[in-house]
Amino acid sequence: MLFLTEILGAEVIDVRQRRIGAVRDLTVHVQEPYPIVTGLIVSRRRELAIPWSEVRTFAAVTREVALRSSREEIESRRAQPDDVWLARDVLDKQVVDTDGRRVVRVNDLQLVDSGGRLLLVGADIGVRGILRRLGVEAFAKRLARLFGRDLPMALVSWEVVDPLNSVPDSGRPASDDAVRLRISGRRIARLHPADIADIVEELGAKERKTVFDTLTEEVAADTLEEMELEDQVSVIEHMDTRRASEILDDMPPDEVADILTELPKDVAEQLLGLMTKDEAEDVKELLAYEEDTAGGLMTTEYVAVSENLTAQECIDELRRLEPDAESVYYVFVIDGDEHLKGVLSLRDLIVARPDQPISSIMIRDVIAVHPDDDAQEVAAVLSKYNLLAVPVVDDEFRIQGLVTVDDALDAVLPESVKRKLPRAH
Amino acid sequence: MDRVLVRLRRFRRLFLLLAVVGPGLITSNADNDAGGIATYSQAGAQFGYKMLWLLVAVTISLAVVNEMGSRMGVVTGKGLADLIRERFGVRGTTFAMLLLLFANAFTTVAEFAGIAAGLELFGVPRYVSVPVAAVMIWLLVVRGSYPVVEKVLLSIGLVYVTYIVSGLLAHPPWNEVLRSSVVPEIVPRRDYFLLAIALIGTTVTPWMQFYLQAAVADKGIPNENLAYSRVDVLVGALVTDIIAFFIIVATAATLHGHLSAEQLANMQAGDFARALTPVAGRFATALFAVGLIGASFLAGNVVPLSTAYAVTEAFGWERGVGHRFTEAPAFFGIFTGLLVVGALATLTPGLPLVSMILLSQDANGIILPAILVYMLILLNDRRIMGRYVNGRFANTIAGVTVAVLIVLTAVIVLSSIPGLPLSE
Repeated sequence: MLFLTEILGAEVIDVRQRRIGAVRDLTVHVQEPYPIVTGLIVSRRRELAIPWSEVRTFAAVTREVALRSSREEIESRRAQPDDVWLARDVLDKQVVDTDGRRVVRVNDLQLVDSGGRLLLVGADIGVRGILRRLGVEAFAKRLARLFGRDLPMALVSWEVVDPLNSVPDSGRPASDDAVRLRISGRRIARLHPADIADIVEELGAKERKTVFDTLTEEVAADTLEEMELEDQVSVIEHMDTRRASEILDDMPPDEVADILTELPKDVAEQLLGLMTKDEAEDVKELLAYEEDTAGGLMTTEYVAVSENLTAQECIDELRRLEPDAESVYYVFVIDGDEHLKGVLSLRDLIVARPDQPISSIMIRDVIAVHPDDDAQEVAAVLSKYNLLAVPVVDDEFRIQGLVTVDDALDAVLPESVKRKLPRAH
Repeated sequence: MDRVLVRLRRFRRLFLLLAVVGPGLITSNADNDAGGIATYSQAGAQFGYKMLWLLVAVTISLAVVNEMGSRMGVVTGKGLADLIRERFGVRGTTFAMLLLLFANAFTTVAEFAGIAAGLELFGVPRYVSVPVAAVMIWLLVVRGSYPVVEKVLLSIGLVYVTYIVSGLLAHPPWNEVLRSSVVPEIVPRRDYFLLAIALIGTTVTPWMQFYLQAAVADKGIPNENLAYSRVDVLVGALVTDIIAFFIIVATAATLHGHLSAEQLANMQAGDFARALTPVAGRFATALFAVGLIGASFLAGNVVPLSTAYAVTEAFGWERGVGHRFTEAPAFFGIFTGLLVVGALATLTPGLPLVSMILLSQDANGIILPAILVYMLILLNDRRIMGRYVNGRFANTIAGVTVAVLIVLTAVIVLSSIPGLPLSE
């Protein structure tokens, strides 16, 4: 991950280590969803345009751009008049939403290296961008931490930005050159965790760490959840253990268990030790099961209520628990010893009279699986009975957890099929 | 039918003028605030007619600079803070905004000092008047009732028209007045140079550039009507400085030569009020006080508010009085902060109000060159101004203003080093 202002002003060095000039701007070709960087504008006596393909490396620390060719080969090229220049045409501009309201300013632009191509993926609209350009971002971060605060990034994905107009004709004053959004300002979401995950998956381990360091724990946890298991493991491995444990605390226990199984034993145990007691215990239970069994797939986040409640009391209890969307597919009814007695759908609860005991409306013959059942069997059960999730019970029919249909699918679909699936946005 | 059309067409020009007029006149009117009154009065009392030529020169500068700002507002449809941000990036903008905040904090102090001085003439102690005024301003703006009050305050500003009458009734030596207006005469003294910086800084203030351009941009005047907008600012500049001219004349005629050096160094608002005696007799003090309070209160609203707009505009933060405090914390924070700083500084025990006001105008005069340089770079950028870039005349006048202020500031700085000429 790279910010435009980090590359502006960097020294450009040709293949024979001779200084050519300083980076003044980047040109982009506008394409969906992310514009691609096509070249550098280098300031010398005249403007010099260098195609991005000539760039060998950019070293962020020394702020040097190394070229593949020599000065003489480049001299002749000139800037194209219809290129979009990021610093000149986009940076610092007012961001305007669909209602024509002035919302924020483009404080910086976020670029991501994706297989040798540099893509424009987002706009920094937060105070971090301003601090970075004043050269005090690191200092401000430390200061904020001193007060126990996080200095979160405010990024908008470039996907919500309207295609850039090319340069206004030079005779006309540039009065209407604001950056336009496709969404209303009130809904400017920070970059969605799924988008961050997409970006992060393209990066190397070191860059990933930098990205994760900028996120709050909650967002980091959401982002991690959106990633593939091997990437999750790599991110956690490279992270400071204390922070890693805090992020894991915010994730569902089954995901955590999956990640910990892939980690070296001593690292996993260290992380478990640092996590909160409740979460660590849930995870430990899950770790006892084989990976590709119902026990390994299940989550311990399910909703279970006592059989003695009325419909109204049950709804009140749900309100108090505020369960995640994923785990509220079914409401399980248990007795005092956690024996699974029945199951309710939200529909059943809502249409029932408030004073009706739930034991009278619940379905008593619950389809359930055993922790040792393998993933294929679990998937078959889900498919056969058209279920969104299936409870996992032990030999005495005590509820242990819940396998959701997407977790089961993940386990049984071959890798090759998964890769072909379109990403949901 | 045809005759009606002809008549309508004739009126059309007048309507156009009226639609465009406003920002220039209002800005100029707000220009004769506590800082203006105190500086012009001090100039007349201390140096007689010897600063009139400088005022005439500054009037030209004021007209040119205001025309530049309003042209920039018309052509780009953007405020000065907007353009600075888009042309100079975060660092250049931060520097400009720090300067503006600094100058405007001083100006806000001056406005509160003006309110305090005016009300002290009616026997109201500043420990009552200043906090009450600060709370009133805050409520007026946050409740959004400021536009109504603006008209009342603007009409109070008309009190200063009486300076013209007073100046005429005082029978000044017109030959000397006219000669001093055109023949430059420099008194080689440190306090003359300090007052010269204050006189330029109070006439062509930094905050006014931001306020005027934003007001013009908000009106959305099309380029074709640029000429009318020009009339607006030129008339505004002329009206401001005719009043300023007569403030100097009236104070010179009534006070100059009647005060000791020590009195001159510690002028009180009550002393300045005596300049209105020829027209108002024993009501001079009351008349002066009402005008001072009205003008200071008006500028006490405008200066913090326009600062908050400029800074939030530059950094792209939520702004506008229509929001709640939590929605636009930076906007209300800056506005409130300036009021608090202004009020608290004025309440410092033993602080001489008039000296404080004069000092704040010096701060404005010292900072003004930087703001003018920003404006000049923008106005000469063809990408921004298209074919409406600055001409040589405007560049020269603004450039000379910058140079003169820098030289004057350098003289003041050097003269504070012991052993050099001018040092006291």
